[in-house]
Amino acid sequence: MKRFFSSALSLGLLWQFLGTLLGAGLVTGIRALMGLSITDTFFFTEPAWVMGGFTGAIAFLFGSGAVSDWMKWARGIDTPDHHEDHHTGWEKYVNVSLDHKVIGIQYTIVALLLISIGGLFALIFRTELAWSELQFLTVDIKLFGQNGPQLYNTLMSLHGMIMIVSILLGIAGIINYAVPLLLGAMDMAFPRLNAFSFWVSVPAAVLLLMSLFLGGFDTGWTGYPPLSVRAPVGMQMFFLGVFVAGWSSILGALNVIATVLRMRAKGMNAMRMPIFVWAAIATSLIALTATQLIGLSFQLVMFQRLFGMGFFDAAKGGNPVLFQHLFWFYSHPAVYVFILPGLGVISELLPVFARKPLFGYRWIAMSSLGIALVGFVVWAHHMFTSGMNEYLRVPFMYSTLLVAIPTGVKFFSWVATLWKGKITTPTPMLFVLGGIIVFLLGGLSGPPNATVSTDLHLHDTYFIVGHFHDTIFGGFVFPFFAAIYYWFPKATGRRMSETLGKWHFWLMTPSFFVLTFGMMYIGLIGMRRRIVDFDPALGIDTAHMILTIAGYLIGVSVLVFFYNFFNSIKNGEKAEGNVWNSRSPEWQVPSPMPAHNYEQPFEVVGEPYDYGLEGSQYVKFISPAKSGHK
Amino acid sequence: MSHTMDKKAAFGQGVIIFVYLAILTILEFFVAVTFKSVSILIVVAVIKAALVVYYYMHVYKLNNDDGSDENSYKYKTGTNRIGLWLFLLSDAFVFAGLLVMRANLLGLTHPHQLDQNLGLAVTAVLLVSSFFMNRGETAMSYGDVKGFMNNTLITFVLGLGFFLGVVLVEWRLAAHEGLTASFGNPAVGPMGGVFYMMTGMHAFHVLTGLIFLGVVWNNARKGLYTAEKHWGVEAAAVYWHFVDLVWIFFYPALYLIGKAV
Repeated sequence: MKRFFSSALSLGLLWQFLGTLLGAGLVTGIRALMGLSITDTFFFTEPAWVMGGFTGAIAFLFGSGAVSDWMKWARGIDTPDHHEDHHTGWEKYVNVSLDHKVIGIQYTIVALLLISIGGLFALIFRTELAWSELQFLTVDIKLFGQNGPQLYNTLMSLHGMIMIVSILLGIAGIINYAVPLLLGAMDMAFPRLNAFSFWVSVPAAVLLLMSLFLGGFDTGWTGYPPLSVRAPVGMQMFFLGVFVAGWSSILGALNVIATVLRMRAKGMNAMRMPIFVWAAIATSLIALTATQLIGLSFQLVMFQRLFGMGFFDAAKGGNPVLFQHLFWFYSHPAVYVFILPGLGVISELLPVFARKPLFGYRWIAMSSLGIALVGFVVWAHHMFTSGMNEYLRVPFMYSTLLVAIPTGVKFFSWVATLWKGKITTPTPMLFVLGGIIVFLLGGLSGPPNATVSTDLHLHDTYFIVGHFHDTIFGGFVFPFFAAIYYWFPKATGRRMSETLGKWHFWLMTPSFFVLTFGMMYIGLIGMRRRIVDFDPALGIDTAHMILTIAGYLIGVSVLVFFYNFFNSIKNGEKAEGNVWNSRSPEWQVPSPMPAHNYEQPFEVVGEPYDYGLEGSQYVKFISPAKSGHK
Repeated sequence: MSHTMDKKAAFGQGVIIFVYLAILTILEFFVAVTFKSVSILIVVAVIKAALVVYYYMHVYKLNNDDGSDENSYKYKTGTNRIGLWLFLLSDAFVFAGLLVMRANLLGLTHPHQLDQNLGLAVTAVLLVSSFFMNRGETAMSYGDVKGFMNNTLITFVLGLGFFLGVVLVEWRLAAHEGLTASFGNPAVGPMGGVFYMMTGMHAFHVLTGLIFLGVVWNNARKGLYTAEKHWGVEAAAVYWHFVDLVWIFFYPALYLIGKAV
């Protein structure tokens, strides 16, 4: 216990607490000197909370030691390229480590933690929606300065953003763990930046959760002004949290691109890179650039609230629709950030379990880039009803429909890869297949939203919610679980229970179909998004009840997964060899992976996915004597 | 570090580029007061930006993979360079976003409260600082630590002058003229907000650049850089030029384009 309290995590959180008090106190002091009010509903005034939130996040980074090497460099003190971890066991994961595998696991754990928090929020407000009329989030409830319906709004909004952050951390987890192994690199290109990208996400998560306790906010995850200008101070914590989490995403993406450009094994030219690496590159290109725009748009609202700058205030000559343009310039490509790594996992794992070459490698590699690039010019399809210039609608409709082409290429390749394969279905493959089917439903429910004429009817209904959850479960959640089941033996030397894995899959998948089909159905009937209650005359009470039960079943299935995950770390069946009979280099060495990855470097001598072809070889290990110590 | 030209020629090139940039800036100013042509202003800004990106920021160095050993300083510097440029690319999206906001909210107008002479003066100061930065970096690449330190000191002082000129003088003058960001002044419209947001975001980058310069100056004083190993110096210089690059677009956007209202 003592070792936990002296870990980087605990120290960071302590410093964040003190830093918040310091920043808030400083602003309060200045306000006192200027003769302004110094307290408000939530003790400090809004400017004090904003400053406090900001200084708290910075204090966390210093307290946890995530920036200490850089501080040394700034003072001209050199540090060794790679630190050896002097922590063992669980302590490695609560302290600053430069090892990409440790960081990948740290990311994954925090992502899973946030998924459970976001999921818990979803279950709370799903329960409220089980029947029409308010049940337990009533106006008499008072919690964290909010009444019941306001709390509903906060939980609903936070569910969105917490899940988004957890997805960003989840993909960062898989990418961090897998990409250097797939490339044959010793680590990421910038190990300290990598550690920084992870650690900065912890105060970001804290800031996001703080918004719940500071009056919450009621805008949904999109934070549109003018509502977000009027929301309680929790809104500012939300903005700050997203802003800080954005840095994690941007710097992580930078690192991935530099790693892929500079640290590939010998012989690994672009067309022999594992397909997951292509997906990681495509996703990183979006995250690197577009993320700045959500940061900027939230920052502008933040400043509008603090200083009265009228950017989005129509009464002052500002333009609220401008916010939506800036916001969606990131937030639409963001969904491709979420799904591209997942689709990469599907393409990566499918040939392993179908025992056949991946069909159309080049096409599938290029389709990831294609989705990423087209994704930059589709944002305004979220705004067909916003009152933007009408002549913009049709071009954005066509560009959106264009996304179906590279996505279709992927489906074609997957089906052709499965065709006449010798398919086995251990848990990772189940999730891969589940992901393909669910994502197909997400894809097919997309064009009605992209087409102006139908979108005007569907906009802001539960149909959109159903479509969105289909794409994200198919594009992220299923592949994410597949990746965890697949690489778990690599990370721990043990495998997760197949029985529990199957329970997880067979509980989650049907429930999920019921949930999203139900959402689309009630949406078509007239159920609107984001509302705390609905009209009983719609006749969808039964449907809502079924949806709620399905939601709980998904919750149960994830609990099964958690039990399996944590239990298997200690008690799982030993699996130190090439459990999946994969051609990928990381499976050619014993598990768990040693600290500096490959003791012998390898050379790429063939195509990556030529499963079942006689005499084909992907990697050849070079003897250590010849190459020297790497 | 291999050199394609000798030290004197390298300095000379810096001077020639500076003269081009200065002429273009003056041209810009006169176009703005006489023709009021937005397209000429954009073309001039793009030419200036291209000169800075190529000759001062040395973008071509990104492409110098000569197959050196992966553990060598040279190879790692190449990787660092990619990292820095990716960061700048990302950062450029913030400034592009601000320019989009400016175009949307202000259109073909700019705030009349701004002091044109002061605007030209701070722009000149930043441009001159970029010239000395280039001189400093060139000196370092020939192993001339003393020359680096002197030139960087001048850069630092000029940069500080720019920062104070914008934040202390221009902000105060503009506010005095009625260009405010704050509540209860609907007459200003979004103009004040746009002006303070854009100059503020840029000034923040100037400030971080100044800290960066201070750090490398101090490390140079300790004798940590040589002609072969001075990635810190190169990074600080490229970052400083990037700050100048942003101002190449922000200056016409705030001071020159459109009617003063």
